[in-house]
Amino acid sequence: MAERIGVYVCKCGPNIGDKVDVGTIVNKVRGIKDVAVAKSHNLLCSGDGLKFLKEEIKNEKLSRVVIAACTPKQYEVKFMRACEEAGLNPYLMQMTNIREQCAWVTPDKSAATEKAKSFVIAAINRVSLQESIEKKEIDIQPDVLVVGGGVAGLEACLSLAQKNRKVYLVEKSPCIGGLTARFEEVYPTMECAPCMIAPELQEVLQKENIETFTYSEIEEVVGSFGNFTVKVKKKARYVSEEACIGCDACFEPCPVEVSNEYDEGLSTRKAIYLPFAGSLPNVPVIDEDNCKRFKGEECSICKENCSFDAINFDDEDRIIEKDVGAIILATGSTLFDPKELPQYGYGKYDNVVTAMQLERLNASNGPTGGKIQLKNGKEPKSMAFVYCVGRKEKGYCSGICCMYSLTLAHLVKEKLPGVKMHNFYTDLCLPKKEHQKMYKEAVEKGIEFIRSGENVTVTDEGEKIIVGTNGKKISVDMVVLAPAVEPNVDTEKIAEVLDIPRDDQGFFAEEHTLMKPFATALEGVFVVGSCQGPKDIGDAVAQGGAAAGRILSKLIPGEKLELEAKVSEINEDLCSGCNICIVLCPYSAISRDTEKKISVVDETLCRGCGTCVSACPTGAARAKHFTKEQIFAEIKGVVR
Amino acid sequence: MNEPTIVSFLCNWCSYEGADKAGGARLNYPANIRIVRVMCSGRVDPELVIQALKEGASGVLILGCHPGDCHYKKGNYKALRRAYLLKKTLKQLGIEEERVRLDWVAAGEGERFAEIANEMAETMKNLGPLELS
Amino acid sequence: MAKPKVAFYWNASCGGCEEAVIDLNEDILKVVEAVDIVFWPVALDFKKKDVEAMGDGEIAVSFINGAIRTEEQEEMVKLLRKKSGLIVAFGSCSHLGGIPGLANFWDRETIFTRVYKTVPSTANPNGIVPQQKTNVPEGELTLPEFYDTVKTLDQTIDVDYYLPGCAPPPDLIMNAVTAILEGKLPEKGAVLAPEKSLCDTCPRGEKKPEKLSIKEIKRPYEIIPDPEKCFLEEGIICLGPVTRSGCGERCINANMPCRGCFGPTKEVIDQGAKGLSAIASILGVEDEEKMTEEDTKKLIDQIVDPAGLFYMYSLPSSLLKRKRMA
Repeated sequence: MAERIGVYVCKCGPNIGDKVDVGTIVNKVRGIKDVAVAKSHNLLCSGDGLKFLKEEIKNEKLSRVVIAACTPKQYEVKFMRACEEAGLNPYLMQMTNIREQCAWVTPDKSAATEKAKSFVIAAINRVSLQESIEKKEIDIQPDVLVVGGGVAGLEACLSLAQKNRKVYLVEKSPCIGGLTARFEEVYPTMECAPCMIAPELQEVLQKENIETFTYSEIEEVVGSFGNFTVKVKKKARYVSEEACIGCDACFEPCPVEVSNEYDEGLSTRKAIYLPFAGSLPNVPVIDEDNCKRFKGEECSICKENCSFDAINFDDEDRIIEKDVGAIILATGSTLFDPKELPQYGYGKYDNVVTAMQLERLNASNGPTGGKIQLKNGKEPKSMAFVYCVGRKEKGYCSGICCMYSLTLAHLVKEKLPGVKMHNFYTDLCLPKKEHQKMYKEAVEKGIEFIRSGENVTVTDEGEKIIVGTNGKKISVDMVVLAPAVEPNVDTEKIAEVLDIPRDDQGFFAEEHTLMKPFATALEGVFVVGSCQGPKDIGDAVAQGGAAAGRILSKLIPGEKLELEAKVSEINEDLCSGCNICIVLCPYSAISRDTEKKISVVDETLCRGCGTCVSACPTGAARAKHFTKEQIFAEIKGVVR
Repeated sequence: MNEPTIVSFLCNWCSYEGADKAGGARLNYPANIRIVRVMCSGRVDPELVIQALKEGASGVLILGCHPGDCHYKKGNYKALRRAYLLKKTLKQLGIEEERVRLDWVAAGEGERFAEIANEMAETMKNLGPLELS
Repeated sequence: MAKPKVAFYWNASCGGCEEAVIDLNEDILKVVEAVDIVFWPVALDFKKKDVEAMGDGEIAVSFINGAIRTEEQEEMVKLLRKKSGLIVAFGSCSHLGGIPGLANFWDRETIFTRVYKTVPSTANPNGIVPQQKTNVPEGELTLPEFYDTVKTLDQTIDVDYYLPGCAPPPDLIMNAVTAILEGKLPEKGAVLAPEKSLCDTCPRGEKKPEKLSIKEIKRPYEIIPDPEKCFLEEGIICLGPVTRSGCGERCINANMPCRGCFGPTKEVIDQGAKGLSAIASILGVEDEEKMTEEDTKKLIDQIVDPAGLFYMYSLPSSLLKRKRMA
């Protein structure tokens, strides 16, 4: 059947009408092969215009349509919808821009007319080769995986857990709550952090729609947005979460004592342990690296002391498979190790500690029950805070260290009002509405601020520690270092498992810093909290909620997900498996089918940039709606 | 009167919008700048560029998002590689390197678009039409 | 029934295609049994006048190798076209232009000047270059015109089929001959070789990394390539991805990269443009965000002669066909 192309040139009132001789164009294109109708209209985007267009498509039995008007950026979607409503596949319409890219930039009317005519002819050439593209929709799995049980992950879990949606929370440590659970009081509200998050932790653990896997990691992820399959490794805990009542009777008799990483090495724990008092879930774990039994010795003291038969030495790692539609990574961050910078004396002098260690000293659930003390048990009389430890080495300002240092200064000052405090800073980063106030109050309390720059050295003089900067020396009892925030060690592994990029600093890379700050290159995978970059609690929670909101609005139980229509496809009769396209795809949408020895496109991941098409040496890769033939036809039109 | 055209491949997200901005600001540039929209500068295949020259264009302009800003993250890096190698190849084939120009225009850079368009038109005017055998 | 008549002809080429026919070994006997060879200047003593004497279309099929670079070649192939039912472009030079097509980087004048005057080994004190007409005491001598531009066979006459390769391998020749004899030919214009590119049959394909990226370009003389590894993985530019398969991986098995003699697959118009696009795309691709524009250019500059490399066999059949002379 012969094609019937309708060409409609919009005058856009005077915008095009006065600058381009629309009548000439309409007359000229009427003679072109397959052009059944060519008409002008005063304002095609108006209600009348769209009605006219729809009637034309129906009455003239048009098989293709060219619209010469404004930029497609403005109303292409509107015109596509009109075509669809008139029964024409929207991809059989081609819009050409004779306003922004012609009428408005070409003062000479005859030149503008000539140019507009070439655009219209190019569009006619192109539309003749365009193909219908059917909307593709896929069934989705509305459930969501959240990795990381800190504040960002908790917020995401709670926002997501609704009637028809299950959330799986995977946490690598034995307890949830993240770093926040180990802080005493947090800025700027200076409230008790464990109290602040306790209701959230309880809710997460108790909510039916949230299944929590602590002491677990993600091992493998396949699939794409809407349909991921995740393998979670639940490490052997050796203590039954069902049977254990959390009575603590097993810790005491355990003969092993090791440094407790949850107290930053300031205390010891047993081989069967809870990370800290009150950590949730209230079920201990056996550390198989240190337990005598796992070193081949005969020991079952803990089991003997358990009245509930909760201990099972034969427990094994289990792989649990879950289908989810989206994944939120909230795996948090850690602090830069100051041992890398010997000038700060960390690791050399007992009373040089990190801010996190001071947090634990100050915490009522910490090693000293909240007593701030020196290694020898005495109270410090003077302290120095050194800011920006590792900033230069990391190459970025973490943005939260000034505030956590100020917070600690306030907290110490409350407990030990007589302590003398000196803050060695480079630049104070106090960006939020409440932060400046805290600094002012610190100054009012007599806390000294010294702009040292990065030139700070820590040495000792007998019992005292000397902090030196720019010729100045101050003698103190304790030095608190504020290290930079850096990615967790497992960030790299998780990035590999998911095949998502990390940024230059090693954090997960967001898709767009400003516009998509919590999305990643892999659609359906979100990064929230400090695994995406240093962040304070409020910002982490906001991101957790935002990612949850994005998922709630896109993955709706019972509804399908519409895919990008203009994707790339690979002709398997031509693809020879050279693999060149695979590395080029920014969305990892292309992979090798090892059986057929060719590349295949996952349409659920492809976003249609066409980079693979340009590189494909056999012509097997083809960009729907942007084929070589279509572009060649358009070139022929514009060049004339 | 009818100067040979300059086929301009513009990426949908930055450069095409940049050209629209030039229109919105009523900046003028020669009418022989003829625009072909592609989704990404990474779609601009050397075959398309050569075909444009073959069809009679005196030059080809390829515009994409600034490096690091590609809507598809990395398409413009490929455009850079291909354009540079293509220009080297074309030079060996007697076609002046200036006839193919790759540049970056962001969505807000209407003035930059007009400036590049004017420069390109001027360069092509000085070089004259590309006569291929 | 009379045996079908077959002709072979030789234009601008090295003679390897003629050898390829000989390489059929015993199979040539089957061919000779099935057909009557009526014209084969390199092997049999038939003359132009013998062909002229034939009726139009009398020759069932003419296998023509070599590119068209002189007036004489043009005249002969036009004659053969007239006298033949089918014309098969035989080998890279007639199919794509081939190595003689690299002459399209120059024109007649520059070639003559170089060959007859400036080459160090040339002794030509009087600067004599070939002339189409030369008067000698005995009369006027003529030479056919040497064209500025080398053409493919199908740029000169209508071609029915293409047998690619430098030279075409015996199995493809036998397949083609069999198909012709049995009348089982594909659509006119087809290349009588597999549709996929060389990577499909390359013995190094299995172990090739899924993500190919070239950090540094090596030329084959600079390293001894690992015979197990994909050349691209080692930084050696191989045109296998952009070249039709069917050659029997002769170069690859000799530890040399593909140079493209089988021409592109059917969806590709310009083998060189596609080849350069594919290779450029993976240059330093894994570090592309960190590389400055200068780093990128430096890496690309390691390809010293891109036009000669990517268009080694296909310049006359490319979109641009030849160098544009100032």
